[in-house]
Amino acid sequence: MHYAGVDVGAITAKAALLDDNELVASAVIAAGYNRVEAAREVLAQALQQVGLAREDIARLVATGYGRVQVPNADRTVTEITCHGRGSHWLCPDVRTVIDIGGQDSKGIAVNGVGKVVDFVMNDKCAAGTGRFLEVMAHALEEDLARFAELSLSAQRRVAISSTCTVFAESEVVTHIAAGAPKAAIIAGIHEAIAARVASMVSHIPVREVVMLTGGVARNGGVARMLEERLERTILVLPEAQITGAIGAALFARDG
Amino acid sequence: MPKYPRLQSLKAINRVMERYYVKRKLMARLKPMAYVTSGAPVEILETMGVLTLYPENYGALCGARRDAVRLCEVAEEDGYSQDLCSYARSHIGAVKQPDGAPLNGLPKPDLLLCCNNICGTVLKWYEVLADHYSVPLFVLDVPFQREPQSEPHAVQYVTDQLEALIAWTEEVTGRRWKPKKFREVLALSNETVSLWGEIRDLGMHKPSPVNAPDLFVAMAPIVALRGTRQAVQVYKGFKAELKARVADGVAAVPGERYRLLWDNIAIWYRLYRFFRPFMDAGACFVTDSYTNAWSAAEPVDLDDPLTSMARTLLAVYINLDLETRAGIVADLAQRFAVDGMVMHANWSCKPFSLTQSDIQAAVREQMTLPTLMLEADMCDSRRYNNGAIRERIAAFLEMLG
Repeated sequence: MHYAGVDVGAITAKAALLDDNELVASAVIAAGYNRVEAAREVLAQALQQVGLAREDIARLVATGYGRVQVPNADRTVTEITCHGRGSHWLCPDVRTVIDIGGQDSKGIAVNGVGKVVDFVMNDKCAAGTGRFLEVMAHALEEDLARFAELSLSAQRRVAISSTCTVFAESEVVTHIAAGAPKAAIIAGIHEAIAARVASMVSHIPVREVVMLTGGVARNGGVARMLEERLERTILVLPEAQITGAIGAALFARDG
Repeated sequence: MPKYPRLQSLKAINRVMERYYVKRKLMARLKPMAYVTSGAPVEILETMGVLTLYPENYGALCGARRDAVRLCEVAEEDGYSQDLCSYARSHIGAVKQPDGAPLNGLPKPDLLLCCNNICGTVLKWYEVLADHYSVPLFVLDVPFQREPQSEPHAVQYVTDQLEALIAWTEEVTGRRWKPKKFREVLALSNETVSLWGEIRDLGMHKPSPVNAPDLFVAMAPIVALRGTRQAVQVYKGFKAELKARVADGVAAVPGERYRLLWDNIAIWYRLYRFFRPFMDAGACFVTDSYTNAWSAAEPVDLDDPLTSMARTLLAVYINLDLETRAGIVADLAQRFAVDGMVMHANWSCKPFSLTQSDIQAAVREQMTLPTLMLEADMCDSRRYNNGAIRERIAAFLEMLG
């Protein structure tokens, strides 16, 4: 039997396929405007990897902001609950999940069975999200992978104090005009995200193991600076971006 | 057949409040009219036959009728900041442009009584009104309390001002103070407050016969009609209806699965709509820190009324220090055996909202109670992010499950 979890987020759509024990396939695509189509496509891509068809899926659970737009879902579950469940499955010792997605960030406290006991969300300001990184990378003409590398190589960090992406961008322009090294500006941008997220997460009890999930987990700079801020080691797994989808697939498996 | 049983008494309460406003419109020329703040000693004015109106209550009405945003914008065009209390902005907007506002605005006041035990905004709000209407203003200064028990010098300070308020009202209105009448009014006020406490306590039953939005509708008389027979009468009816529900095992939320505590002022423009996803998940708000603010610990002592009233005025929830507030919330959570707490971080009400984060942490640690903090505003729906709130509520309900 196979089970599917589809996580339609603000920027990407993710799918995870489970059999009774293992993760057998996963896919990530841009969500675009048409969420219904994105959900269908991301699931099709995951199915194709293992040569399965939609009919082979016993149950499908949808999550993410676009969860209600996922066609033929058996059930919808919020991404908070799915991230808790998925992270626990990936690492049973996880007690805190920090999820930084495209449009929001969350702190989730989970117990020993992966059940959410507390959470906090930021969706007011973009300066703690993946979108902020995208906007800034674009402004500094760097691709996202190199953007993270540069942040780690910086000798110093400029201070970015604006809480709004648009104003932070003008702040960056000011730093450029003042002749600050590019790496220092980029490091400052990463630090700004880490600072916002750390401040948000302080509203829930932060206990180890702390896991970073969501698309921004792929950015080593944010992870490193969050470790500094929280004074804790942060676990980043290759499945970081599909943790929510895995959680959804687990709910599908459990019926 | 509606999915959720309706309370007939709420209709009676709404009718009483309609009559309250109509009567004030009609009587405004015959009797002196005072605007008062929600934490003010209305019993003194009631004793002297002074009509009273509550701009805060009017603000809530503007919110419930979804007129608040338009009226706030009128005030904002005049230079009032968007960060200012939305009751104040709604009312000031209606003062500036009464046409088309609820009740076409409130009748003009002859005197103003501002008591700062609920916030500091009222000071400036009432100064604006005093200036606009050219009417006298009495500021009753109630110091913030840092100890659970009111400090003796503070009690004396407020008592002295209550005496001064009586003399001032006599002078301004030309009406005489009647101690005997005062006792009658206080007795009715005590009865109203005690009924309100009993009504709220019925939420302790499992399942609860009452949900927080019902109390938000029902609270108008405890605010505006304390010390009157109408309030006593209408609350007796409400209490009887709730007791009948308890006897018949009728739940406000059929199949009650979760019992929740609400913190802060209601979201007036989504009064029942807001609670619907909770109700659909079987969650009933069996108690709240907002309407609890009108159930006093002890009645006013008729033999030493002013000192006793001073104590009550000092002990208003948002005039108390953080630890005492956290204790009150924890006590509610325990007595009503709740499974979780939802806090409305209300942009408008800084004195209520400022301590919420710490209260949340305290309650979470002491009782390991799931809590949810939602950012919104009591009247200004521009501060209500539906998508964000819906996501949080859904995740919170999953967390309870």
